[in-house]
Amino acid sequence: MASAFVETIISPDREVQNRSLESLCEDLDLEGLLNECVALDVFRRETENLYYRVRALFFLYAIHRFHLPTRLENQAPGHIPPAGQEHFLNRRFHEAIEAFQTAAESELTDTICSALAAGYYQLGLQFLANQVRHSVRSVRGNQWMFRSGRAIDHPLHFRKELLEKKEGLYPVLREETAVRMDLTHSSWSDIFFLGMDYPEGAKVINVSIDLAVRGRDEAPKPPIEIYLRVIDEPVIQLVSVDLGAISRIERLEEVFNFAKDYNGLLKSALIAAGIVPIGLEGSPSELSELLLKLVGPGRGFELVSSVNNIPKGSRLAVSTNLLAGLISVCMRATGQSDALTGGLAESERRVAAARAILGEWLGGSGGGWQDSGGIWPGIKSITGAEAGPEDPEYSISRGRLMPSHKLIDNEEVTTETRQKLQESLVLVHGGMAQNVGPILEMVTEKYLLRNAKEWSGRHESLEMFNEILNALRAGDIQQLGQLTTKHFFGPLQTIIPWCTTYYTERLIESVRSEFGDKFWGFWMLGGMSGGGMGFIVDPSIKDLARNRIQSILSETKSKLEKALPFAMEPVVYDFAINENGTFATLLEGSDAMLAPGYYPLVWPALLRMDLREIEPTKRAELGLFQARLNDELKYQEAGKTLFGNLFPQASSEQKEDEDLDSLLRENGFDREQHEGIRDQLAKGMIGMAMNRLPANSRIEDVEPSDVIDAQKLATDSDRQAGAAAIANGEVAVVSLAAGAGSRWTLGAGVVKAINPFAQFDGRHRSFLEIHLAKSNLTGEQHGTPPAHVFTTSYLTHEPIASFLDFEDNYGFEGPLHLSRGKSIGLRMIPMERDLRFAWEELSHQVLDERAQKMRESLHAALIEWAKSTGEGGDYRDNLALQCLHPVGHWYEIPNLLLNGTLLQLLKARPNLRTLLMHNIDTLGACVDPAYLGLHRRTGAAITFEVIARRVEDAGGGLARVDGRPRLVEGLAMPREEDELKLSYYNTLTNWIEIDALLSVFGLSRDDLDDLTKVGAAIRSYALQMPTYITIKDVKKRWGHGQEDIFPVSQFEKLWGDMSAVPDLQAAFFVVPRQRGQQLKDPAQLDGWLRDGSRDHVASLCKWG
Amino acid sequence: MKLKKAVITAAGKGQEQIPLQTLINRQGEPCSALSVQLAELSGTGIEQVAIVISSEADESLYRSAAGAASVELEFIQQPADLIGFGHAILCARSFTKDEPFLLMVGDHIYVSDDETRTCAAQLVEVAQQKECTVSAVQPTHESQLAQFGTIGGQLVAGQNGLYEVTRVKEKPTPTYAEQELLVPGQRVAYYLCFFGMHVITPVVMDELARSAKASPGQPIGLSPALDTCIELGKYLAVQLEGRRFNLEQRYGLLKAQVATALHGPHRDELLTEIIDLLAPLRA
Repeated sequence: MASAFVETIISPDREVQNRSLESLCEDLDLEGLLNECVALDVFRRETENLYYRVRALFFLYAIHRFHLPTRLENQAPGHIPPAGQEHFLNRRFHEAIEAFQTAAESELTDTICSALAAGYYQLGLQFLANQVRHSVRSVRGNQWMFRSGRAIDHPLHFRKELLEKKEGLYPVLREETAVRMDLTHSSWSDIFFLGMDYPEGAKVINVSIDLAVRGRDEAPKPPIEIYLRVIDEPVIQLVSVDLGAISRIERLEEVFNFAKDYNGLLKSALIAAGIVPIGLEGSPSELSELLLKLVGPGRGFELVSSVNNIPKGSRLAVSTNLLAGLISVCMRATGQSDALTGGLAESERRVAAARAILGEWLGGSGGGWQDSGGIWPGIKSITGAEAGPEDPEYSISRGRLMPSHKLIDNEEVTTETRQKLQESLVLVHGGMAQNVGPILEMVTEKYLLRNAKEWSGRHESLEMFNEILNALRAGDIQQLGQLTTKHFFGPLQTIIPWCTTYYTERLIESVRSEFGDKFWGFWMLGGMSGGGMGFIVDPSIKDLARNRIQSILSETKSKLEKALPFAMEPVVYDFAINENGTFATLLEGSDAMLAPGYYPLVWPALLRMDLREIEPTKRAELGLFQARLNDELKYQEAGKTLFGNLFPQASSEQKEDEDLDSLLRENGFDREQHEGIRDQLAKGMIGMAMNRLPANSRIEDVEPSDVIDAQKLATDSDRQAGAAAIANGEVAVVSLAAGAGSRWTLGAGVVKAINPFAQFDGRHRSFLEIHLAKSNLTGEQHGTPPAHVFTTSYLTHEPIASFLDFEDNYGFEGPLHLSRGKSIGLRMIPMERDLRFAWEELSHQVLDERAQKMRESLHAALIEWAKSTGEGGDYRDNLALQCLHPVGHWYEIPNLLLNGTLLQLLKARPNLRTLLMHNIDTLGACVDPAYLGLHRRTGAAITFEVIARRVEDAGGGLARVDGRPRLVEGLAMPREEDELKLSYYNTLTNWIEIDALLSVFGLSRDDLDDLTKVGAAIRSYALQMPTYITIKDVKKRWGHGQEDIFPVSQFEKLWGDMSAVPDLQAAFFVVPRQRGQQLKDPAQLDGWLRDGSRDHVASLCKWG
Repeated sequence: MKLKKAVITAAGKGQEQIPLQTLINRQGEPCSALSVQLAELSGTGIEQVAIVISSEADESLYRSAAGAASVELEFIQQPADLIGFGHAILCARSFTKDEPFLLMVGDHIYVSDDETRTCAAQLVEVAQQKECTVSAVQPTHESQLAQFGTIGGQLVAGQNGLYEVTRVKEKPTPTYAEQELLVPGQRVAYYLCFFGMHVITPVVMDELARSAKASPGQPIGLSPALDTCIELGKYLAVQLEGRRFNLEQRYGLLKAQVATALHGPHRDELLTEIIDLLAPLRA
């Protein structure tokens, strides 16, 4: 019988082709679904068509991720075959799938389903990425760069106009480039994969714009300026004015080292423009040979970029247009475009755009195909294009990589309309700069699966494209505003609910209530809202709106800055449509100057030399600079900065040090302990490698008798006993909210607990609110709400307290306490050996070829940073809060004793016996009376909840260590592969009997008001607990929305180790995944929503 | 088409001395580069040759270098104010009148692989058969594109090595070449570049004159004129049995000399010498 799934993929009939996976799976039982999997697997191996194959792979992924697990009757845990895991980590996804399939043949488990799902998903993405790579390399005009293997064969040379000095100076070629905004948003249809499979559905209206930051700049101008000139030294000098980065390149291989400094983009432009052909990567050629061909003996060149301090994450494709502008200027200089100055011809713009895609691929990043729109003039429609016989994609995909650009002239959209748009649109940067990568992957996945809701959203969005274009043609900006708003709240959020944020919703609400009918609409730029956004208003309130929106942005941001990852202060832009596109001018003689910001950056070193040693061209340039100091404002500013850089004043570093020291004092920093740890770290007595249990430890999976299947074994009488205990005030909940949640915002220092990450019951809710809503429901069901404690730290205490205060405890009626941690650590610069251990010895998911090269280059740069800054030294070069760290969740329960919270709880509820402790991101954890009753029945002092392992659950688990069941951290595994033997993963949710715990510490309830005794008992006990050295990422923000991520060392003691304490009887409950799953990464959200976990959480809540 | 005339351009800046260079010809006799070029005309039926030299050149030196040529020689001096290759050709218009002619560049030496016909003779034969403008071309690696005019085109069905030209670009970048000048059947990274030898029809001369008039004082090139002429009439390119050597390149003269000698009766002697040169002095 033919497979309905395969038929869906290959049918020429669009209606059949667009059937959703959900509808296909709906009526199939386990056997039927497995048969379809077999058919799909055979099909994906046999089909020659790339997109058939990819769609089959995504079907297989979704079936294994969402549909098979719900049909598995035997929920016994399984294991991931080590060979499969190794293939998977090394990107050999096909081989990994084979290994997983072999395991699935003996027994299909939830664990192996998760591994297969991950394998199919990654293989699908790998095919798509390979196709983009193939297309980028095969675009005509790019191919030669991949086969140029010797510098002496380099076919390019600079135009003679750039090689002849005038008035003692080489001419400067200046390129000015616009950025772009997308009026239709496009529903992310500019993703390469989507445009290549569904060209007719890929369309945008893309506008090139000039910008000015309101209140800072005089008038809008092309934000990107690039300068290129020949110099009398055989080197390549790259200067990024905004990033303050100067790279003097003397060896060819440095051009390919992107992460060594901040000039990676300029380097990738040199390569993508063919100045340093990519074929030279790894070649023994010398840079001098290349320069000899390019500019002649004894010469080099200098490339300078400036983006006028436009903040990062603007969603205006600044970096792609910078790349395209850089490529354009390099192409002009080497005769790859006919025109040295002025605009580019259409064919040349297309080459520049194709090379910008190549440049992004080289740098391991990637945007959409419309992003280089700034090099085209004015307004244009960009649409997907069918691949023809001349295209490298022909017969592989329906569409080609490069879209078609059609300029929209002044007849179609009049000058008056363009003016009206400028008057009405308030363009802003909201201050958030988030990684939209996960969103783009979600869009690809949803497109390929054709889920009914999202697919109809995409169609609705396509219809709205025409409506938006018609509104523009008619000059009806009010209508345009209505349409973009409808688009944002309709199709965009239908396709990706995560594209809106709590911040965005509040902004829209505020602007609407402020301006009423004169607020015409909201418009989202780019992958998600929060960064680049537009508010369309009645032009009569243009100035008022711009001023007020600036205030609204700042006020809202200041309220939410601890809850959401902001990278910068919000700004409002003035903008104008740029009708030139990218445009070059040759500056000769006395005009041959570079960007004003160049001089304060590069010249201090020059000016410290003896004047006689300065070469004549530089002296001539210095004379020109001096002449301009008198009458040009921008040079006056540059002169001041230059003077400041020559004679730097005392910086604010001293104040930052004072802030840090006072924070350390206030938060119970134990200097003696810190210095001891630092000393041990430097001597190699502790470190990443020392975290491990002894190599001769025997690590085995637990026996069935070691765990209790809580769902099956909890009885009605357990439930009744538990319910009675709750009603009697015998239970309190402890939610751990002291940590920074590094993975959630990549070390941004945001308080994860108050991050409003998902919508429930019509509004965004935070982790904190969800946990309280669960306790609310528990209270309603059992008559007494459990006492609820949030543990906090120096980082999280104030923000959590103020949110609870502002929100009136979110309507929670029970006793609510904040337990502020009194233990703190100071981060340290990591040791090289720990970095190498973490990056080179531990297994990691290998990335796509270029991204992996980028990662390795970055790691090398960070190791150099650690060595040059001082391995094992204190980490102080950041905001004070970013230099501190919580010392691990082991301290959270002892802190309850130390800071008197437990005493308070016991006084208020003397019946209190049991604590339910859980991580802030374990949303399914709740006071289930049956589990409580079962826990009491086991007689255990502490009961840990574990879940059946899935492939994504890395980092230890439940094991028999030398014959005794206990939790083992991933850090402590003597051998990495031991982890794969383990069936269960630790959720860290645990039930604690207070009296038993006190007894282990050598205390009783009566001792709790004797803080000296409590302190001594805990200190002494802490010494017995293992200390782990970990490497965490910490963000350092600088400039305009720029962020660096540094690895830092810190130490932790972890609560799971209490399971190994001999005097504390531990039990282990196996619980359903929905109860135990943790949300560590925003990329998990979509799966969490779709697999029903979100609805499960909602069913546990009563909103206050 | 009757071809009785040839033009050799030797007026380029820095090229003045090239025709006067001494080489050893196939027979092992010393002679000038110019005389080797004139010998290239044997078997073509060419009777009159104009040599375009720079305005400052001493005509008598060239006449002496030409030796006892079997053709009628005329020397034309290119005025100093008319620069560029196109002008050099245009200077010969009074000589070519309205007749087609063979054009050779003075800085190239040709070595034919056909023992019976020189490269020029092969080209003239094709032009006379096809009765149109024909450029000789040679597959050239993309790293050399900056030195040559390059064509894009299609193979003429059933005619090995003969191409219908669709585009001509002087010294293209590989970026342009890859987009516009790919010729089916060529190896990857190879393009059909000019051989330094063309049969030019009056229509090309008209176009050169038009360009000169349109841009007075500016250098004009042959390649743009040929590109324009694609629209005006048949234009073919032919890959000859032979190779060109550009004497202007580094070691160009040496390569030309070696190639010439290897095609002559002293081949074995030369090879022995080369091997001796390559062998280490001490065992």
